[in-house]
Amino acid sequence: MEERPCAVLLKFPGTNCDEETARALETVGFLTEVLPISALKPESLVGVSLVVLSGGFSYGDYVMAGKLAKLVTEQKVGETLKEFRDNGGYLLGICNGFQILTQLGLLPEGSLVQNTSGRYQCKWTTLENRASDSPFLSELPETFEFPCAHAEGRFVTAKPEEAKEYLENGAAALIYAKDENGSFERIAGLQDESGRVLGLMPHPERFLYRQDHYDPDWKDEDASDWGSGYYFFKSLHKSVTSAD
Amino acid sequence: MGDTDTVEGAEAAEKPILERIAEAPADHYRILKISDLGEDELFEISQAMKLSLSREDMLAVQGIYKGWDREPTDVELEVIAQTWSEHCKHRIFGAVIEHEVDGEKETVDSLFKTYIKEVSERIFDSKPGFVLSAFHDNAGFIKLDDEMAVCLKAETHNHPSAIEPYAGANTGLGGVIRDILGAGKGAKPIASLDVFCFGAPDTDMDDIKADDVIHPLGVMRGVVRGVRDYGNRMGIPTVSGAIQFDDSYIYNPLVYCGTAGTILIKDIEKKVGPGMRIVAVGGRTGRDGLKGATFSSAALDTESHEGDQQAVQIGNPIEEKKAADFVLAARDKGLTEFITDCGAGGFSSACGEMLEECGGTIDLDKIQLKEPGLVSWELFISESQERMVLAVKNESILALQKLADLYETELTDLGSADGSGILKVTHHGETVCKLDCSKLHDAPVRQLKAKWEKLTEPIDAPALENAGRTLRGLLSDFAIVSREPIIREFDHEVQGNTVLKPLAGASGDAPQDASVLRINGSERLMSMSLAILPEWGKTDPFAMGTACVDECVRQLVASGADPDRIAILDNFCVGNPEDESELGALVETVKGIAAAAEAYGAPFISGKDSFYNYFETEDGPVSIPVTILISGIGIVDDIEHVTGSSLRHADSVFAMIGHSGAQLGGSVFARRKELGNAEVPATNFETAFACYRKYYEAVKAGLILSAHDVSEGGLAVCLAEAGFSGKAGLEIDLCSLPADDEISKAALLFGESPSRLVVEIAPGNLEKVAELFDGLPFALLGRATDEHANLRIEWGKEILIDEPLNDLKSLWKNGLAQYY
Amino acid sequence: MRKIFEISDRFIEAGDANGLLYEPLDSGLTFRRTRRYEVEFNGDKAAAEAFVEKTLFDEISQELHEGEDPALSDYSFIVEYGMKPGALDLEKEAILTYYRGIEEPGFELKDLAIRQRLYVFGGSGEDSDRFVRDICNGAVHNWNVIKKNG
Repeated sequence: MEERPCAVLLKFPGTNCDEETARALETVGFLTEVLPISALKPESLVGVSLVVLSGGFSYGDYVMAGKLAKLVTEQKVGETLKEFRDNGGYLLGICNGFQILTQLGLLPEGSLVQNTSGRYQCKWTTLENRASDSPFLSELPETFEFPCAHAEGRFVTAKPEEAKEYLENGAAALIYAKDENGSFERIAGLQDESGRVLGLMPHPERFLYRQDHYDPDWKDEDASDWGSGYYFFKSLHKSVTSAD
Repeated sequence: MGDTDTVEGAEAAEKPILERIAEAPADHYRILKISDLGEDELFEISQAMKLSLSREDMLAVQGIYKGWDREPTDVELEVIAQTWSEHCKHRIFGAVIEHEVDGEKETVDSLFKTYIKEVSERIFDSKPGFVLSAFHDNAGFIKLDDEMAVCLKAETHNHPSAIEPYAGANTGLGGVIRDILGAGKGAKPIASLDVFCFGAPDTDMDDIKADDVIHPLGVMRGVVRGVRDYGNRMGIPTVSGAIQFDDSYIYNPLVYCGTAGTILIKDIEKKVGPGMRIVAVGGRTGRDGLKGATFSSAALDTESHEGDQQAVQIGNPIEEKKAADFVLAARDKGLTEFITDCGAGGFSSACGEMLEECGGTIDLDKIQLKEPGLVSWELFISESQERMVLAVKNESILALQKLADLYETELTDLGSADGSGILKVTHHGETVCKLDCSKLHDAPVRQLKAKWEKLTEPIDAPALENAGRTLRGLLSDFAIVSREPIIREFDHEVQGNTVLKPLAGASGDAPQDASVLRINGSERLMSMSLAILPEWGKTDPFAMGTACVDECVRQLVASGADPDRIAILDNFCVGNPEDESELGALVETVKGIAAAAEAYGAPFISGKDSFYNYFETEDGPVSIPVTILISGIGIVDDIEHVTGSSLRHADSVFAMIGHSGAQLGGSVFARRKELGNAEVPATNFETAFACYRKYYEAVKAGLILSAHDVSEGGLAVCLAEAGFSGKAGLEIDLCSLPADDEISKAALLFGESPSRLVVEIAPGNLEKVAELFDGLPFALLGRATDEHANLRIEWGKEILIDEPLNDLKSLWKNGLAQYY
Repeated sequence: MRKIFEISDRFIEAGDANGLLYEPLDSGLTFRRTRRYEVEFNGDKAAAEAFVEKTLFDEISQELHEGEDPALSDYSFIVEYGMKPGALDLEKEAILTYYRGIEEPGFELKDLAIRQRLYVFGGSGEDSDRFVRDICNGAVHNWNVIKKNG
């Protein structure tokens, strides 16, 4: 019998999407441990294939979203996450998790700042898959929808040309089909050079099942009971298990 | 007591009363010598200490201490004041009221007992095993399935929101979330609702007749952001809500916050036993909110805004999230024997409640402080937020400390339960409070007078010159415009279980009648909805009561809940209970909700009330109309039963369930046309509930595509909203609707008769559905069409309305956008 | 020692000031926000500055301005406000909690005050009262208004 790959979901004070993210991971076949940051040690990642930072408001999003989580993580385990990635591990950051991974320097340079509307926005967005060879996006179609919920989701780079560069070199794995929050080049998700680290503002774990969609008549191409989010996590599970 | 005839006596009489009668055995508490005082002086003490206790109350306290043969400490008086405050003890709902309706007299011995508790208990008996807990824990529980239960609690936080809207709303939501965490051995919060009553956002500043009143737009922004920042951080989706706008709320904004939770049935029962340790978890204690619960029993005026520096509590949602994570983990590990939240009255209420039967000792020295220098009473009644109190076995302490460290929250050992029946509190080595709590149930029963006179009369319906223009006006009215700018500020998807969302349908932005949530660990789902109709209550409070219960039930049923497995809450906001007609309106409303609840078998499982929502302006007092919120939860057996409100298919037919009455009173249309005392529609319980049961059968048989209830704005608005999915146009004919004889076109289009549902059916299923409704009001209304994208409503050959749905939608969608 | 750091956002454009008010003014005013941190400390100045830059400042999207002078110019007036003593400042609490968790910070942080600054551009500066009325609340804030001289 095949052993299930292990995922660790790092939880900070204020992280709040952990339960449903763990549910999505378990559904596709990961053995998932939700680990509060207070218990994180370098040894915690031994035998682990995937580290996930889920959505929420780590440390309240005070000062800047993700900033305090980054500082505390570095304080606790230094470069462990970078080493984990370099040794073949996968890292996924969703919403607040994307903000934290960006702050930790595990993704191409940039910052997530306040939406141009100045407001929190809870709404579904249509996304374009710009990296169908990404381990996270291989099972997803060219366009699909995920729900978003954030106030600081606008992706910016120090110079606008850098964002254009991300579109060209494939770092911009996901873009919004139309401008949602002022992100440069409408970037919704980024991957690093290895392809094993992905950060995205939208929430795949909130669209695990078909009935999670707002349109009662929505179905996927196969009229299954799964939502697009399932295929996101399925891609990842497939990549992690085939890489072994 | 000084003799005022002498010079010394005169000087003594001029000293403030507390100085005269207080003895300070130590720096941190006082003994108050009340045994020989007269009624006036006793009342002076209540005022000086801001206890909000009446003369009778103070005399009762004096009597209790005479029986104990000693004087009270200041700590004890504060505890009693908290326990007997309106917030904690429903003094008005428990009063004896001499009531007169249109000349007929009656005596109501406790509104709560007669109309809420006894009605609900009869329903509990008729549905054994459905309601698992009501009226004694922090929330009421109903059975979801064999293993799990769901609960709901709602509270108001009005006065603090008038003073500092952001902080008031923020802590209001934080407080009700803690109620859920303190229900059973700790229920998991899964969804929130919030209902606001404000003045209109475009109110002219010059029309505000008092200083220091925050403009309604400022209140609205502050309140919405306050609820947003707390709920979003706690990871609890805010899925239901309503906003009412009326001038009377300019001075008295209302903020209702509610939260639903889930729990394993085995974790509902809880008990404190001798030998258990009493521990606190969460934030530290400071001066926050001192004088909160008693303060909310006093009316507001300009001065109260300035003097209340200490009364504004600030919320820290991250602190509460850490405590919540701890509470749920402790419960799952079997470490919790009893839990309750620190709300109004702080530790005094929490420990008082917990140790009521068992008795025990609390040591104030153990409390972890935010700031130094609090004296005994301040420590014991401080309302610092984000604290929970648990009773646990001694051997569990180590494991609990590990959990607290894991979730980075503070655990404090406060004392223990000892089986003595006495609540003992020590501080700096001295006993500062020693109370036999069983004596505190005997708060004097208040005697009140109420009066209601029928205000409504039949009127001629106005002629409709241009129904299309009237419809456009309604869709732009603040009562009806889309709340989208506000809804999108709240995360309504967190936890990944919001199957029917507040805005949904093919376009993702059309209003739905209820929200339905998947429940982790169960095949069943929970529907949640609410109803609030203060406009109706201005002229016919009884009808308002019946209509609110009806609307809440009908919305739950429309979304797929079983009509026989619904439970509701009553939350009241009232102006001045000492005004006979205001109290009369309240009595009539309560009778209305009780009648409907009993007829529908929908028991009350919790409720709360807030009084003294009136403000002294330059022109005299402005009171709110009796504002009742009925919120409710219902069980949905299968995700396939979940039904939304938006038009789905271009080939569907539409039918109307329910009878349309000629009465226009209470409607938004009537308000706009200033129809004054027009008769308000009554609710026909028997027919309505029979229809709801048949509808449910249709849902179970898979015959219903969508259903939208007719409410504010009437049938025309209902149809427009259904059409906002953008899937098709609508062709409607009103001719064959079951309706009153000679009903006017205005009433057909814009009247708000209760108990009506517009349902969408696949053409092949119409006959089957019609058969189900044989003998009940049911008729074909029209059909969807892809020939055009308009809302076309005819009466026979006469076209009453023919408007492009896109135009109607733009009017509706943008109404609040410029304000929020 | 006391140092003042003011942080502004590079990518957030000036907004319509009417959006802040209860009743709009017809004067075409715009606004920008900054945050001003007043840091009171003992010990190594460089360590304190490094702490501020690492904790409070984002190089990519923000600009850091040190000293008393306002970070932005050409304003008509500034409404500066913050939580009054005794009222909970969540951002401040989060920063202090983080600081206390650092084993060897290299300096001693004695006090931190955070002030929000609202810069209003355009107009004659006469309308500052309206902004104070609609933004500041005496129940939780204290505030002051800085007018442009000349």
